[in-house]
Amino acid sequence: MDPLAWLASALGLPRWALRAVAAPLVYPGLLTFMAVALFVIWAERKMAARVQMRVGPLYVSRRLGGALQLLADGIRFAFQEIIVPVGAEKWSFILSPILAFTVASLAFTMVPGGPGVYGFRSSLSLIAAYAILSLVPILVIIMGWASNNKFTYIGAGREALVAVTGEATLLASMLAAAMMYGSMDFVSIVEEQARSHVPGIVANPVAALLFFIAALLVTDRVPFDLVMGEQEIVQGPYTEYTGILYALVMALDYLKLYVLMLMFTHLFLAGWAPFSDPLLGSVWVFAKTLALMLFAVFLRSVYGRMRLDQVASMFWSRLFPLALTAFALSALIHPVYAQP
Amino acid sequence: MALVQLPGMVGRELGSSEGLRVVELNIGAQHPASGHMRLIVYLDGDVIVRVDPDIGYVHRTVEKLAEGREYVRIISLVERMTIIDACNVTLPYVEAVERLLGVEPPPRARYLRTILCEVNRIASHLYGLGIGGIFLNHSTMYMWAFGDREVFIHLASLLTGSRLTHTYPVFGGVRRDLPQVFREEFEKAKRYMLRRLREYDKVFFNNPVIRGRLEGVGVMTAKQAVALGATGPNLRASGVRYDARMTGYAAYGELDFEPVVGSEGDALERVWVRLREIEASLELIDRALRGLPEGPFMAEKFTKTVPPAVRHWLGKGRLKLPGSYVRLKTRPGEVLGRGEMGRGEITYYLVSDGGMKPYRLRIVTPSARNVVLFDALARGHTLMDLPAIYGSIDYFPPEADR
Repeated sequence: MDPLAWLASALGLPRWALRAVAAPLVYPGLLTFMAVALFVIWAERKMAARVQMRVGPLYVSRRLGGALQLLADGIRFAFQEIIVPVGAEKWSFILSPILAFTVASLAFTMVPGGPGVYGFRSSLSLIAAYAILSLVPILVIIMGWASNNKFTYIGAGREALVAVTGEATLLASMLAAAMMYGSMDFVSIVEEQARSHVPGIVANPVAALLFFIAALLVTDRVPFDLVMGEQEIVQGPYTEYTGILYALVMALDYLKLYVLMLMFTHLFLAGWAPFSDPLLGSVWVFAKTLALMLFAVFLRSVYGRMRLDQVASMFWSRLFPLALTAFALSALIHPVYAQP
Repeated sequence: MALVQLPGMVGRELGSSEGLRVVELNIGAQHPASGHMRLIVYLDGDVIVRVDPDIGYVHRTVEKLAEGREYVRIISLVERMTIIDACNVTLPYVEAVERLLGVEPPPRARYLRTILCEVNRIASHLYGLGIGGIFLNHSTMYMWAFGDREVFIHLASLLTGSRLTHTYPVFGGVRRDLPQVFREEFEKAKRYMLRRLREYDKVFFNNPVIRGRLEGVGVMTAKQAVALGATGPNLRASGVRYDARMTGYAAYGELDFEPVVGSEGDALERVWVRLREIEASLELIDRALRGLPEGPFMAEKFTKTVPPAVRHWLGKGRLKLPGSYVRLKTRPGEVLGRGEMGRGEITYYLVSDGGMKPYRLRIVTPSARNVVLFDALARGHTLMDLPAIYGSIDYFPPEADR
């Protein structure tokens, strides 16, 4: 028997309500994200350590190769005092990271985690998920403004620039995919790919590449980690945060990365196809998402940080026009996926 | 670039005053990329209009302390200025005192000093490259350079017995002879380092992201470099063929020393000069080891004062000097010592009144001369270029503050 249906009948709730709660909170939502963050950040540090002739995290849980280091850090953050600077706008300062994290995790109601595993199914779920994610930069800018510190101001300014720059390309490549499949619903996008046996990355590799690069920019990954910009602006808009709020803002970028890579899996890597079993399909989607995330964090060991103006000019003068080209290309590819 | 004219003393109020476009940003003293100093940066939007380096956070009164110490004890004092470059920082001082004492080190000692100086120079350049790497958030270069620096620290510890503060050159020679294992270990280190330098080129120097950050940033023309008094690799990267080693102190005069000279004068060229100087230093050590003369490693004048009970150490390449070595008296006079450190030229001006302690020891370190470059090079660049410029001039606050 379907465990979801069983739980719904046991609690006396309608099934859709249970879905809408389970998707953002359990899978693919926050509970899964905790495990993902724990693993990906550990793997990021271990991979970088391997390249850099170090051992990486080791002493917390030695037998697991230091895998619980992040958990230990998280516990430490949870018990640390939250310091609100005297000059800060108190409530904006405290609430904006919480709100940002909540808003970002609402995207899980729209992005499915496997066949039949989703919060809501809508014919506009792609654009809805994107709209939810694009609210986060506004809250980050509020964080930078509320902290009342020059470094956070500059960081907030950079976040504004990065959000506008990155999301133009991200949206263009996302719409290129939607155009290609003739749908904005994740479920039917995956079904189109399963039916035609052509994953989106083969049909339109340009859009896939641009989506990935733009996702790196909006999630603040090396070589585009401008917002955090440690060597110039300490921690960017997050400079003044301490304790659990700091842990939240640090996890925010990983949360966004997780959502975007989940979207990438559906848009370009054929989601759960060829599986149609909820469990197997979910595992398959999860594995692909994790692999993409690992690749995204591995870039840290290869690149440095690009300069702000170089990033902006690269995205606006080269990648964004390319994304529009990919959009045009999708019109030509559309017959591959069009219903007979 | 639109230069904003700064009215006299508005510094502190810049951020809040009406009508002023300039923001004052204090980078340091507690900042991930400031070092032991503070950079007061004035920004017009994202463009730097002025940088005031606020130095002195690690001033340790080395010059004053030197006036109260015997000559030999000053060696281990001055190397505290730059413990990562300990032989280069002490050698000009030792040579200056030797001139006052009228002692000539034997040829073998001069060669051994050269070898350690070059080992230190490589370690110092690797340190600079590592810091330069992390300034651009290139963590791999940072870790690699610091990891590979360990190889040269190991070589130094083979030669001297200590990893960083070697106090190796002393008046009349060096403390220890070359251990037999050194040549073999150096061969390994050289092969390893040459291979690693090619990997550095691949991952860091030719990395498009890094090139984009460094190319054309902080350009200093040869004329400007001379006028500003820049020194070391920063000067040579601008195309000025000057290196204190060309004066031929220690054994440099006999090793056909040729400085590495760049041309562009930008941050990339400064990094390039450091990378090529590592190669040149490996070659110099190789040459010095091949041409290493036989003979004593300490001047006759001091070896004959060694007490009979510890004389047998001399045959094993060690030296136990008597207490009289601390109470050496020089002839009165003034003497200038110059030498090339990893970061540039160091100058000692020593005044002796004929006692056991110097009357005055004036020290000008390379970083103290290079500090002017912050303002000169960063103007007109964006805030993100500041770490690139800082990393490329390889500024070291403890050395500058003395």
